Amino acid sequence: MLSLRHDTSGSGPCSFPDSVNLTAAVVQDQRPFRVGVMSAAAPGTSKAAHGDVAAKKKKGPGALATAYLVIYNVVMTAGWLVIAVGLVRAYLARGSYHGLYYSIEKPLKFFQTGAILEILHCAVGIVPSSVVLTGFQVLSRVFLTWAVTHSVREVQSEDSVLLFVTAWTVTEIIRYSFYTFSLLNHLPYLIKWARYTFFIVLYPMGVTGELLTIYAALPYVQKTGLYSVTLPNKYNFSFDYYTFLILIMISYIPLFPQLYFHMIRQRKKVLGHAEDYSKVE
Amino acid sequence: MWHKSVVFFEVEILDAKTKDKLCFLDKVEPNATIGEIKSMFHKSHPQWYPARQSIRLDPKGKSLKDEDVLQHLPVGTTATFYFRDLGAQISWVTVFLTEYTGPLVIYLMFYFRVPFIYAPKYDFTTSKHWVVHLACMCHSFHYVKRLLETLFVHRFSHGTMPLRNIFKNCTYYWGFAAWMAYYINHPLYTPPIYGEQQIRLALIVFLFCQIGNFSIHVALRNLRPPGSKTRKIPYPTKNPFTWIFLLVSCPNYTYELGSWLGFTLMTQCLPVAFFTLVGFIQMTVWAKGKHRSYLKEFRDYPPLRSPILPFVL
Repeated sequence: MLSLRHDTSGSGPCSFPDSVNLTAAVVQDQRPFRVGVMSAAAPGTSKAAHGDVAAKKKKGPGALATAYLVIYNVVMTAGWLVIAVGLVRAYLARGSYHGLYYSIEKPLKFFQTGAILEILHCAVGIVPSSVVLTGFQVLSRVFLTWAVTHSVREVQSEDSVLLFVTAWTVTEIIRYSFYTFSLLNHLPYLIKWARYTFFIVLYPMGVTGELLTIYAALPYVQKTGLYSVTLPNKYNFSFDYYTFLILIMISYIPLFPQLYFHMIRQRKKVLGHAEDYSKVE
Repeated sequence: MWHKSVVFFEVEILDAKTKDKLCFLDKVEPNATIGEIKSMFHKSHPQWYPARQSIRLDPKGKSLKDEDVLQHLPVGTTATFYFRDLGAQISWVTVFLTEYTGPLVIYLMFYFRVPFIYAPKYDFTTSKHWVVHLACMCHSFHYVKRLLETLFVHRFSHGTMPLRNIFKNCTYYWGFAAWMAYYINHPLYTPPIYGEQQIRLALIVFLFCQIGNFSIHVALRNLRPPGSKTRKIPYPTKNPFTWIFLLVSCPNYTYELGSWLGFTLMTQCLPVAFFTLVGFIQMTVWAKGKHRSYLKEFRDYPPLRSPILPFVL
């Protein structure tokens, strides 16, 4: 699925969920006319919050961790840019959308799999997101990359693959540059706007591509019994990958709307009320 | 006539989130307990029965206990309490009975090969492997034991838990029971590789741990007089099965793990192994929590003890 983190400030330098929101305000709105907002007593925050923010800013993940995270996010931004460029060049060379997957297969696998590190970042605490949520999102991407697209050769030439790869590519370039700039305390409003706006189109686009790809894989999985175990066997266990994939597709029905509307709510909070620092989630 | 002047308290209860005044009680006895105050609050707000009330001194603080006495709390003669609705509550006994009856019934449905589970030609047949009959007896015995313990042995510290827990818990127990039972009672079930030896060893481990688990439950019950919620350090008793208290804080979980390891060995079934693993993870979390509260509460807590596995975990 499209990687949409539930935290609003992304992989910022703060380690306390409460401070994320206030510090995000400091980090993201550098323009002079907004500075005065920090002293405004927003509902749910006390006047002490002003001092708290300063104190909490110091308690971030530390200089070393921040440096590492900056490097990580820069590398990931670069990686997904490579994929974007690869797609464009291949399209221009071939003149059609067909089979572009092969031109970016390796960097896609490398950088998407590399995102597993983000789960570690949350577990270790240098990023304030939930391990479970991050794990779920990263692993669902990795699942699609390896267990569906890589494993079922026949779907690799499907247009649906291009659909989700494009969605992922644009999203990740914006997301990782968002984190990079946030960490460096110089977040251009354009990037913040893009992060909280592009998803409106990219998320449904990605989900459509993913579902169509899984659907395309179904007949081949059923025919070959890919990743499936039947009875009898000495472990008295069975697994039907075909049924499993269908259940995965069904799970999109409750999950997608929840994540989508969560992002819409985040968008309203982050972009809609710049002057009003109501406590974010 | 002498007439003792009692200083009555006034109690106001505010909503912890909105700070709205929900209730004002005057002429409250100084020796009134929080439990009694909850009953009084319930009268003015009948939808919030005492079990779903969380009363605290501070909106974000810990819940006060039902036994706490008003005049012993750090409040003035006008006490301000904050209320939080814990949501619909259900009694622990109800939850336990429901979550344990499910596996008992469900497993038997698979054992007797009720229609629509396996191919029609197998309906109401029984497995030809004697280990399958043994496994059914062990599984059923285990859950009957749990039901009886819930009714006659356990003394619960909390009366209730949030209602949504029953759905979560039943999904877990019932779901896993169905998954395991499906394979063990399947017409294509493969018995353990090492045959009778493996099954015999597994049965011994299983029974040993069942007795052990029961012994611990009885020992824990005896620590606590009827109707009380006191907490004491458990110690080994004359029963050898309780001597494990020397090394472990929560031997009931240790024995439970042992029982399921035995059942896994007996059935040689991967879903059973998964169930054992997940249960072990959950019990370890609970054991660590319990061990930590023992350490916090009792200065003289035996240092040799580990939460669930001797010396290891």
